[in-house]
Amino acid sequence: MTFDIKEQNGGMAVTVSGRLDTPAAVKAQQEIAPILENADKEIVLDCTDLEYISSSGLRLFLTIRKEAASKGGKVIIEHINDEIKKVFMMTGFYNLFEIR
Amino acid sequence: MPNDIETIPQLCETIDSFAEESGLEMSLTMSLNLAIEEAVVNVMEYAYPAGTKGEVDVQMSSNGQEIVFILSDSGVAFDPTKHKEADTTLSAEERSIGGLGIHLVRQIMDSISYQRTEGRNILTLKKKILTI
Repeated sequence: MTFDIKEQNGGMAVTVSGRLDTPAAVKAQQEIAPILENADKEIVLDCTDLEYISSSGLRLFLTIRKEAASKGGKVIIEHINDEIKKVFMMTGFYNLFEIR
Repeated sequence: MPNDIETIPQLCETIDSFAEESGLEMSLTMSLNLAIEEAVVNVMEYAYPAGTKGEVDVQMSSNGQEIVFILSDSGVAFDPTKHKEADTTLSAEERSIGGLGIHLVRQIMDSISYQRTEGRNILTLKKKILTI
C-alpha cells in the first residue's frame, strides 16, 4: 500500500495503490502529512491501482477532504474500480468527493 | 487470532481461500472480506482495553445457500448491533470519523446477531449466496 505524492501543475498528484486495509491505513497516517500540508491546492488522488479499501482507509480520504475544505483546496478522486465505487456508495462518500 | 490489527491481511487471505473453495464470486468475496475485517477490527478496538492482549476467534462455514461467520472473544461485553449508526447523508464537514465500520457490516451482511454467553461475545454474521 502506498501513497506516491508528486507536485504537479501547482497542485498535488497522488497515486494510491494496493490494499488500504486497517493496518495499511494506520501506517499511511504519517505518509499523508505532505498532502495535508498542501491542502490549500488541488489534490488529485489517482486510484487506478487501489485494490481494496476499508473504513480506516475511507477515514484517511475524509481527513484529506476536511483539511482541503478548511484550507480552501479541492480533492478529486480518479479511476476508482467498481468494487471501491460500491464502498463509496454504501458509505455516502461518493457524494463527498469530486469523482471522475 | 490475536487482537492485533497486523493480523488482518492474514484474515483476508483465509477468507479469500474459503470463498474460492465455496465458489463465491470475486465481488462477493471482496464485500465479505470488508465486512469481516470491519467486524473483527471493531472487536479488537472495543472488547479489549488498549494495550491488553486478547484473542478473536473467527469461524466460517457455508451450506451452499448461506455463508455464516461466527466471531467470538472473551473481552468486555460489547454489542455492535446497538452501536450508533453513521449518518451517511451528512456533508464532509459534518461527518465524524467513527461508526463507518459497523455501517459497512450492516450494509453487506443479511443478518447480524449478538449474544453474550459464558463471558464471551458471540457475533453471528450471515450472507445468502445467490445460486444459479
